[in-house]
Amino acid sequence: MGGRKKTASIKELETLIAGLKAERNSEKRPVLTVSAGTCGRARGSLKVIDALKRSLQKERLEEKVRVRTTGCHGFCEAEPNIIIFPGAIFYQKVDANDAADIIAQTVLNDQVLDRLLYKDPVTGEVSCVENEIPFYKKQRRIVLGDNALIDPTDINDYLSIGGYSCLAKAIISMGPEEVIAEIKASNLRGRGGAGFPAGSKWELARKAKGDLKYIICNADEGDPGAYMDRSLLEGNPHRVIEGMIIGAYSIGAQRGYVYVRDEYPLAVEHIGLAIEQAQELGLLGKDILGTGFDFDLSIAKGAGAFVCGEETALISSIEGKVGEPRQRPPFPVVRGLWGKPTTINNVETWGNVPIIIDKGADWYTRIGTDGSKGTKIFSLVGKINNTGLVEVPMGITLREIIFDIGGGIPDGKQLKAVQTGGPSGGCIPKEMLDLPIDYESLTKAGSIMGSGGMIVMDEKTCMVDVAKYFLNFLRDESCGKCISCREGTQRMWEIVKDITEGKSREQDLALLEELAVAVKDASLCGLGQTAANPVLSTLKYFRHEYKAHIVQKKCDAMVCQEIVSSPCQYSCPISQEASVYIALTAQGKFEEAYEVIAKDNPLASICGRVCHHPCEKVCRAGELGDPIAIRALKRFVADWAVQKGLRPRFDRQPQTREKVAIVGGGPAGLTAAVQLARQGFRPTIFESLPVAGGWLAKGIPDHRLPKSLLDHDIENIKNAGVTIKTNVALGKDFSVDDLFAQGFGAVFISTGAHKSLKMEIRGENAEGVIQAAELLEAVNLGKGMTLGRRVAIVGGGNAAIDAARVAVRDKNCKKVFILYRRTRAEMPALEEEVESALEEGVDIQFLIAPVNVLTENGRVRGVECIRMKLGDKDASGRRRPVPIEGSEFTIELDTLVPAIGERPDTTIFSEEDGLSISKWGTLEVDLKTFMTARAGVFAGGDVVSGPATVVQAMAAGKIAAESIARYLEGKSVEREYRLTRPSVYIEPAELSEEELARMKRPKMPRLPRSARKKNFKEVELGFSEITAIQEARRCLRCELETEEGKNALGRKT
Amino acid sequence: MITLVLNGLEVKAEEGWTLLETARFYGLEIPTLCYNDGLSPFGGCRLCLVEVGEEPRTKLVSSCTYPAEEGLIVRTDTKRVIEARRMMIELMLSIAPYSKTIQDLASKFGVTRMRFKVRNEECVLCGLCVRMCAEQMDGRAIGFQNRGYNKKIATPFDLRSEECRLCGGCMHICPACQLRCQGPQADTDVCNACLTMDPTCLDVHDELQCWMYDAGRCGTCVREAPAGEEKK
Repeated sequence: MGGRKKTASIKELETLIAGLKAERNSEKRPVLTVSAGTCGRARGSLKVIDALKRSLQKERLEEKVRVRTTGCHGFCEAEPNIIIFPGAIFYQKVDANDAADIIAQTVLNDQVLDRLLYKDPVTGEVSCVENEIPFYKKQRRIVLGDNALIDPTDINDYLSIGGYSCLAKAIISMGPEEVIAEIKASNLRGRGGAGFPAGSKWELARKAKGDLKYIICNADEGDPGAYMDRSLLEGNPHRVIEGMIIGAYSIGAQRGYVYVRDEYPLAVEHIGLAIEQAQELGLLGKDILGTGFDFDLSIAKGAGAFVCGEETALISSIEGKVGEPRQRPPFPVVRGLWGKPTTINNVETWGNVPIIIDKGADWYTRIGTDGSKGTKIFSLVGKINNTGLVEVPMGITLREIIFDIGGGIPDGKQLKAVQTGGPSGGCIPKEMLDLPIDYESLTKAGSIMGSGGMIVMDEKTCMVDVAKYFLNFLRDESCGKCISCREGTQRMWEIVKDITEGKSREQDLALLEELAVAVKDASLCGLGQTAANPVLSTLKYFRHEYKAHIVQKKCDAMVCQEIVSSPCQYSCPISQEASVYIALTAQGKFEEAYEVIAKDNPLASICGRVCHHPCEKVCRAGELGDPIAIRALKRFVADWAVQKGLRPRFDRQPQTREKVAIVGGGPAGLTAAVQLARQGFRPTIFESLPVAGGWLAKGIPDHRLPKSLLDHDIENIKNAGVTIKTNVALGKDFSVDDLFAQGFGAVFISTGAHKSLKMEIRGENAEGVIQAAELLEAVNLGKGMTLGRRVAIVGGGNAAIDAARVAVRDKNCKKVFILYRRTRAEMPALEEEVESALEEGVDIQFLIAPVNVLTENGRVRGVECIRMKLGDKDASGRRRPVPIEGSEFTIELDTLVPAIGERPDTTIFSEEDGLSISKWGTLEVDLKTFMTARAGVFAGGDVVSGPATVVQAMAAGKIAAESIARYLEGKSVEREYRLTRPSVYIEPAELSEEELARMKRPKMPRLPRSARKKNFKEVELGFSEITAIQEARRCLRCELETEEGKNALGRKT
Repeated sequence: MITLVLNGLEVKAEEGWTLLETARFYGLEIPTLCYNDGLSPFGGCRLCLVEVGEEPRTKLVSSCTYPAEEGLIVRTDTKRVIEARRMMIELMLSIAPYSKTIQDLASKFGVTRMRFKVRNEECVLCGLCVRMCAEQMDGRAIGFQNRGYNKKIATPFDLRSEECRLCGGCMHICPACQLRCQGPQADTDVCNACLTMDPTCLDVHDELQCWMYDAGRCGTCVREAPAGEEKK
């Protein structure tokens, strides 16, 4: 650098450009282009460059290979990346250690290094060159594309790709008016967000009266997660400068500023260097290119206030005043910087100018939509596979950006919404994915184009939390001049914060909306006028989430800590205080732990064995490692209590209140009965079978759930004041009316779902076809059943696995299959159960469906099956199995056990009962209160939900019991929702880092396979005391992270 | 002269008039708080909002800062204006509930509820004191500090400013009393005249010297001496 000769005329400039162009075209050396924008450097691209240079030195190739340090190539996910010319081979995520290989193999031997090539995370497809990569394929990189071609610190590089020839063209063959006409014809709109036509602005500026005029490049990029302007300034500063000189020439401006925030040191450095070099070359300064036109440019560094992106605040800031906006009119084009006409455009807008001059408005207007022409750069960030800067033609759909370019959502999660336009923008829900992106359509959708931030959010994002985040940003970044914006953002933040903490009431939502509209209306500048957008747009599309937070105290994404408290307790249908009993277990206080469990759960030993443990799926310890073995810990405590002969101490009320009839003694009925008895009501359970327990008694075999434990828990329930009558059935022995006639004040129906679904195939009524429920009932209730030598179970649920494991234990049985029409990933059965079944020799065949039962003399002899493949997703979100034609085959069998599901038996209800039955054959209830169509009659469990899990049935029983109590007290049955909170806060265990690193989730000890043969001994053996304590100590104790939790233990909030 | 339409009437305004000046000239009442005839317009309180432009593309602007423009259509009391104005009053009331000025505004515009948590800051950052100090008293002893919800009125570096001549102009013009004398505090307080004056008003009550022009209202001079110390 330095000593650059000033070009005195346009002719000289053109000669210089032509020379450099020719030199570039005749370049025979291989070129290694390394991305080294801020993000590339953060990922170590400077080290890569260093290593490459060292390797070249070693091979004595410094003169023969060129390493070009460029700005950002846009594909942040793949940083640092190298493009190797000729051939444009694209290497991603290059490390300094790869340098030697790249030189030795790719540069010297033309061998492509497979490990550095881009591999699509979804399809697994490998791409060798940049243009083949899906991320780049749909882009139209007319502004950003040159970043990969030039070293931004060398003006010659820019000149060698024809840089500054547009300036020459504008001066020689166009003239100011024509330039403005061309820009107007191109319909270039401001890329800073508002979208004002640049040509019209320039025209006004040209016509404005004044001896001195200014132009400003607005590079005060401050949206969280947006960095397209930085990338352009860093990677191609001359492009922006050329645009500005053309602008100044056509407007008649003499001075220009680049207002850039000081947090962009590399951008400041590069634009500074570029200005210096342009000055040396005579492209800036007095008498530019001998045309008599004077224009000079300098940098104004901002301190990083978001509001200074607003043009009047920006002007104030350059003038050295506080960066506060002022009233427009007068607009800056009339009275701007130091009272002079001033034209402000954004970095990207200036960057578009040279292309329009070069290729013409005609060419430019062919890109984009009617109202929005050209391309737009977005910074695509958030929950997206290909994070990066994407430049796309206007009018492209969100779907194309997110799924084709962005490569979809990581970890197989679902898209929820896209936030565009930064803090002032809004959220667009996934339902609007086909929205074409332009200024108008985004505004119509309640968002804005903004400067191009695009944050992708997945299902684990809470939209109320998102609104809170942006409001927090805005209340900090508001300049504070207008009461509407300063106080408005603060108050909106307070309200939304209260909502995320479960502290708000429904009327707060109305206030929030009223305030949001007022803030939008009353504020002075763009910041205030759009400050309500985060609230308004999330309210528009996600009002249900706000409502869930306010009314039900639920945050489905489990983000809001004050609502969730501990995910285990939050996700437990009966709100078991898992973290509390775990904490007590960790201290060895098993008796206290047992009391905490028994308080909410009358079936502790059972849930400790068969619960589908939703708690473990959401356990935060599981985010980085394995979740805490919560179910096993519960079982340990419950077993300990049984061994010690401990019975739950229900704090009982004297049983003087109304009688309640409970029809059906399964988990729902038992739970409801206990809850009612503890409040002094007198519940009676009417059970049609000889034993209580419902599916627990008849459906779950002893190897999973020993009957003695069920008896133990049922005895506890009886002791709590519950009367159980067996062998009496609704519809046969009594009706609902009878119950009321006998003086019961309320009735709870929990008759379950016991009617097996048919496969609807030929021959399924043949001898030897046994329904899984039938088989399990016969075995569990001791009646016994004879199976053949070869048994196949059809289905993939827990009943199928139970039936298979029962079959394995059958004396006759030699071979057991499970036929499931989907794959293991879709199997609804518990993972550990599938594991055990496989261990015991069950042959699980996936993607197979029976089509025909083959019979001989009315007896099963086999089943004809067809192979399936997975098609598109169905309503449940699982991929639908589709038969593969012609793939039929036969399996020889003696017994076929369909286990494809059950539904409630509604024949037990008569018209006089006054109940209403849904089209799915379940009882219809108000799901908040569990009251049926008939006042005083409640229902819950499988009879309402269809086949579900034990704990879900128990939850129904618990909630219904609350409703029944309110009903009998003459109150409104409306459910009262409470925040999830533990009843007591326990000191956490002190763990050393080392201890924490060493600890792992223990494996459940199991009966050896040999000991399981042909018997029903319990397979899972439970934790030892030491194992249990150690595992309990591993708990992260999320409930201590709430304000209440911190206060309770005297920690600072 | 500029011709514009004000509440449906064609009116004329002098070049350089704001919409507020024009409206007041024609006898239309527009409420203000941060506006004062003797000071430069600020546009912070957003009470003087008016609706300008033609349906459906109208917008609300602060009339104290918006210049009268040829052909502009202005409406001073639309539903949108009144709703926004009432919300501004409610916001101010919730941070300075004891301000008589704001209470009067609330009463006048029917703002009867305070739905936000009350903060008792007794300052709505209208900036009257800052402009009074700079523009009328040539003082520049106080100014705004920070931004957003941290914004406050303060002296430079929170130290007593040498520019301050204890004129009391800031207190005189304050609609919300934060700057009114609250007795001697640390040296971060704006005035502390009671400590710097000789004799201080803590000792002697002098009607002529009282900053409040209202002897005794601030309570400083008549308050109890600290225990163990005899009142002189």
